[in-house]
Amino acid sequence: MALAESIGTARTEAPARRRRWRLGTASLASPLVVALLLTTLYPLVALVALSLSRSTLGKPLRDWAGVANFIRVLADPAFLASLWRSAAFALPMAAIELVLGLALALLFHRLVKAGRVFTSLALLPLMTPPVMVGVAWKLIFAADGGLLNGWLRAAGLVDAPMSFLGSSAWAAAAVILADAWQWTPFVALLCFAAIKGLSEEVMEAARLDGATAWQRFRHITLPLLVPTLAAVFLLRLVMAFKLFDLVYVLTFGGPGFDTTTSGFLIWRLAFEQFDVGRAAAATLVFTGFVSLVVWPASRAAKRLEARYA
Amino acid sequence: MTSSSDHNFPFGRRRFLAGASAGALGLGLSGTPFGRAFAQARRFDGQSLNLMIIQPHVVTGRILAEQWEKLTGAKVNVTAVPYDQVQSKATLDVQSGTNNFDVIDYWYTTVGALANDGVVTDVTAWIERDKAEIQPDDYLRSLYDPYTLADGKRWGLPYDGDSHLLFYNKEIFDRHGLKPPATWDEYRERAKAITEAEKASGIYGAAILGGKAPIIIGSTYANRLAGFGGRFLKEDGSSALDEAAAVEAAKALKDAAPFALPTPLETRFEEGLPAFLSGKVAMIEFWSDLGVYAQDPKGSKIVDKWDAVRIPVGGKNTTPRLALNAGFGFAISSGSQKQEHAWEFIKFATGAKTGLALLLTTGSGIDPDRASTLAAPEYKAFAPKVQAALAGALENGLPWPNGPQSPQLMQALADELALVLADQKSPEDAIAAAHQQWTTIIAS
Repeated sequence: MALAESIGTARTEAPARRRRWRLGTASLASPLVVALLLTTLYPLVALVALSLSRSTLGKPLRDWAGVANFIRVLADPAFLASLWRSAAFALPMAAIELVLGLALALLFHRLVKAGRVFTSLALLPLMTPPVMVGVAWKLIFAADGGLLNGWLRAAGLVDAPMSFLGSSAWAAAAVILADAWQWTPFVALLCFAAIKGLSEEVMEAARLDGATAWQRFRHITLPLLVPTLAAVFLLRLVMAFKLFDLVYVLTFGGPGFDTTTSGFLIWRLAFEQFDVGRAAAATLVFTGFVSLVVWPASRAAKRLEARYA
Repeated sequence: MTSSSDHNFPFGRRRFLAGASAGALGLGLSGTPFGRAFAQARRFDGQSLNLMIIQPHVVTGRILAEQWEKLTGAKVNVTAVPYDQVQSKATLDVQSGTNNFDVIDYWYTTVGALANDGVVTDVTAWIERDKAEIQPDDYLRSLYDPYTLADGKRWGLPYDGDSHLLFYNKEIFDRHGLKPPATWDEYRERAKAITEAEKASGIYGAAILGGKAPIIIGSTYANRLAGFGGRFLKEDGSSALDEAAAVEAAKALKDAAPFALPTPLETRFEEGLPAFLSGKVAMIEFWSDLGVYAQDPKGSKIVDKWDAVRIPVGGKNTTPRLALNAGFGFAISSGSQKQEHAWEFIKFATGAKTGLALLLTTGSGIDPDRASTLAAPEYKAFAPKVQAALAGALENGLPWPNGPQSPQLMQALADELALVLADQKSPEDAIAAAHQQWTTIIAS
């Protein structure tokens, strides 16, 4: 009887207890929810509102513009070209940095003790403000008095200074090189941490079975690292789409528009032409474009993770 | 970066205060800016003002702050910002509600946009009230309206009347037996001759400021547009880029580019100035205060080896005309809680005496904006070559657009000109595209 009463009481109290528990949980999570709403939902709503209005920097939301800003943005050949250019920068940058980063990480791992020193050194480019990275590389690439031109002339390879930042192909290469210098160590550190987490027993067994270094890398290390590499590639890809600082300092989007990425173009719309409405519309279109490009990469990464994890 | 102590302000403290005292006593405390400021010494004692000024004028900002504190007891906090970000900084300050700045430095082409966005305060009535003190008629007529007038009202007062002159290195020219160019064709020929002869030793015929910022490449183009007798806007406010001079100007820019310091697209204020001062380029179109920098042995290797002439002419035009490139004024931020104090400071900072003192100060970056300072014997003695080139020409300068859409107009033009320099568009196509964009922007 007592047991039946207890069960009955428990049954009646259970929903109330669950409600209290849910409320408690919700109250604990509420700061996070509020923070998320403030930092993501509010800017998104503001962005959409701006994109549908005639807005300047000084007077946002001046008039209702409907989809006029989107039509102007999508009819602007400079903006459309900037989308493809952003992808053309982001994909090779992420790929190059992944390959170089992995190679560096393997080197760090092989050097064991020295690896610790190298990992500390690798943090230096990451700690350097991107603007200063741009300034440093600008001094290297400058046509007049630049370090690279000085070397080339001293070596007798050129008789007149080369304009690296004034030529389309070289300017793009300069941006990619500077970006790789800054971000490859970041990729290397992540890869290094992943390599350190690999099982030594598996490696030892492979060694005992007579596997060469290349075979161990190809058939053990690389497959085990695939999930990490896929995640790092995705991360760098999304970050590379946001390229701005280096373009601003190194080339200012030139020569012509040859290094004008979407991020830089949107900045110019907002802060040079003060057309905030059009900048907001361009931002939303750009976000959609990045999602479209990243989506297949994300799917591929998931498939690789499922296969090798 | 230089500090104000590196430069000699022509008014020593005692002399400055003595002058102010004399002004106050002699003119009943209201006859001169200094007299009035002196009279207000107690009124602003212990107060502060926040001044935003472009980075190239930071020495001027410090001098003004120092003198204002000495005169009134008020402290002026000077914030320097990059010259191409002054409008966005001022606008965001007001729009965000931060309202940090009381007095803002503005590029005159943005005055319409700043007024339209409610960033600056209408000072029409105050100018009228204080006109005996301000002496608006003393401002050069060519620049007073473009610098201050938008939508029928006045929004600030000029303090730096910028225009370009053509500076050349006499030593290099003498080496080649050349005379300074009077036309844009001669300019290209001179640049070509010198570059071809001396490129191997790192010396070029010209530095062409072609960086994509409107204030840089736009100024370079405006020099040619003025030289070919062109203009930016027609009387009815529509685009004048469909006129022949607009295309001729772009062609002249492109034709000379191969013989310039490599490369024009990478050459901005910061690269062009040291190249000329170090004797590496024979010609540069630059703001007239270069004449002061060039005579300062601390930073110049061409002391007494340079000269300046008016900007060349081209096509059918035979009358030299200067373009009003850059040029700055002070305005009161609409977010300021110290509007009256800010106005008194602006009157002091833009006054004829202060202007002359700044003109005579190396590193101030200030050029004449008043008839009285342009013709002042002290300025003639201090910068004789520059003064001679400016006098008689500055009064008829070519103004840039200054309406609410001016930033968009000049950005569109700068983009097209950059494409010309990058060999990605012909001058004809680029100017036609710019004209089309201008027509659309103006119509909107």
